[in-house]
Amino acid sequence: MTALSMRTSLPLLRLHQAATWALALPPAYLGVALLLAAAALTRPNLLSPMLLLLIMRQAAPLGLAAMGQSLVMRCRSLDLSAGGVVAMVSFLLTSGVLPLSAPLAIGAGLAIGAAVGAVNGWMIVRLRASSVIVTLSVSMILSGLVIAWSQFRSAGDAPELLRAFGLARVGGVPLPPILWLALLVPVGLFLKATAFGRSMDAVGANPRAAALSGLPHLRVLFLAHVASGLLSAAGGLLLLAFVGVGNVTLGNDLALNALAAAILGGINFGNGRGGMAGPAVAAFMLVFLFNFLTSLGLGEAGRLMLQGAIIGLAALAYALRHRGLNPT
Amino acid sequence: MTPARTGLTRYTVGLPLLIALLLALSAADFRQPQNLLNFGGQVAALLIASLGQMCVTLVAGIDLSVGAVMSLASGLLVLQSDPVLAVAMALAMGAAVGVVNGLGVAVAGVHPLVMTLSTATFLQGLCHMVLPMPGGQVPPPLVAAANGDAAGVPLSFVWCAAAVVALGALTTRTRFGLHLFAVGSQPRSAYLNGVRVRAVTVTAYVLCSVMASVAGIFLAARVATGDPNLGTSFPLETVAAVALGGVQLTGGVGSVAGVVAGTLSLGLLTNGLNVFGISPFLRGVLTGALLLAAVSVQRRRHVGL
Repeated sequence: MTALSMRTSLPLLRLHQAATWALALPPAYLGVALLLAAAALTRPNLLSPMLLLLIMRQAAPLGLAAMGQSLVMRCRSLDLSAGGVVAMVSFLLTSGVLPLSAPLAIGAGLAIGAAVGAVNGWMIVRLRASSVIVTLSVSMILSGLVIAWSQFRSAGDAPELLRAFGLARVGGVPLPPILWLALLVPVGLFLKATAFGRSMDAVGANPRAAALSGLPHLRVLFLAHVASGLLSAAGGLLLLAFVGVGNVTLGNDLALNALAAAILGGINFGNGRGGMAGPAVAAFMLVFLFNFLTSLGLGEAGRLMLQGAIIGLAALAYALRHRGLNPT
Repeated sequence: MTPARTGLTRYTVGLPLLIALLLALSAADFRQPQNLLNFGGQVAALLIASLGQMCVTLVAGIDLSVGAVMSLASGLLVLQSDPVLAVAMALAMGAAVGVVNGLGVAVAGVHPLVMTLSTATFLQGLCHMVLPMPGGQVPPPLVAAANGDAAGVPLSFVWCAAAVVALGALTTRTRFGLHLFAVGSQPRSAYLNGVRVRAVTVTAYVLCSVMASVAGIFLAARVATGDPNLGTSFPLETVAAVALGGVQLTGGVGSVAGVVAGTLSLGLLTNGLNVFGISPFLRGVLTGALLLAAVSVQRRRHVGL
């Protein structure tokens, strides 16, 4: 392979190197590039800075949830409770059951997210229950409670402060994506530079070896779940800020989209390839894809089919590329 | 089959018995023959789909596309007036979906959650294209086959029994069944011992989708019409039924008897809520609490997924 490319000309070699490098990246990068190119050809007005910023704003909740999902996936766990967390947070903030001022209510929403994450983590770590089942059940319980309660108490408007936050701009850039980036960069650096981040990678790579070498592997997993719950709640608050009115179905597809974003961003169970940037790019890619498909005027059926096909093909291409030599 | 492999414990078997006992003692309506007949019909589709989900779970997979397959099967049924052709089309669709899922997971190595989620999204779109609105007419012979009775036994019971016997024989009496457990518990050892791991995995996914298609046909035939959202709740419910039945999502542990017990627990819970007139919205809460309780008493060695 190398001998062959040595004989070809230098530009071709560079091209080959670039192609190999691009294919080794998480599928989200290539996906964004292809989508932007497709949009430039067919719907150039989607690429105007104003619309791109709006899409960034729309992607922020998914970006936060995908961040949490990628943390637990690095530790070989999974968090599917985002739907229930968002439903609960939105109910508590809009129905008036919490007689708190807006900043306190928002804090309470975040605390509930962290508490749900802690319950998830405790059941997974202490009771050794399967994370898929625990987080699914917790999500079912939370959304069921919200539906049952909202028969007696209809959802109202979100706090004014939250709605203002969703619309606010700093120098023309909406605040939610700024918040997203402001969380993304420190968390990414924290995981790269600290012992906690290293032990997270070690736990993901081989939980047994991590436990045998004395790493606090259960605590790492627990904290990842707390962080994921907190980030889901933050994503829910942003969704609520955009919609303005409480709604039980607000976060219905958040958990599964966050899972898709984490995987398209290069995170796989037990490996953090793609880091923190991968899932963020993938979240943008998914939301851009939804907008692009809507702008093509395909209707619900065509939109769902293309969405499924694109996510599936991206995951297939990436998996085939990284399959390695495992015969089974 | 040792308990370590079937996943049957006193909790998995005791739970449906306990719920049934509580209901029989406390609610007179529950003991009515009509209610028991309704119960059989309600639970049949879930049982058939859950048995399929079990095959995938045994090889450490999970299939979230069962709901979309069921909806699409109902859509295909109302397109056809010939019942044989309609059933053949629905089953062929199921098999094709299973092949795609299986190849994606076993050959390409995509995580089953992502692979089946993307096929589910695609199929749901296709289903909206085939059948945008609930409606249409399922061929009458199929409606009769789902709702009628033979010699006093409702046909829904017959279909359930057939599915249980078929899957029971497949998992415990055949070489393929043994391979399912081998691949699920340790794929590398299975491979080194000459088990064709990829073929077994693909077959498990095909079985799951075909069973889902059968469940969709049954459910559509029971209500005699098609519905693009027929199976929406089934991916989670089948996983819940399988987990309540002691099947481990990490693979290699499970049994048909456990799945029957898990399905009965879920079905009895729904039925009990109806009988007592409790808000159906609390059903998710109770199901979730039941699942949490069930997994909490079955401590595993494995932490995480």
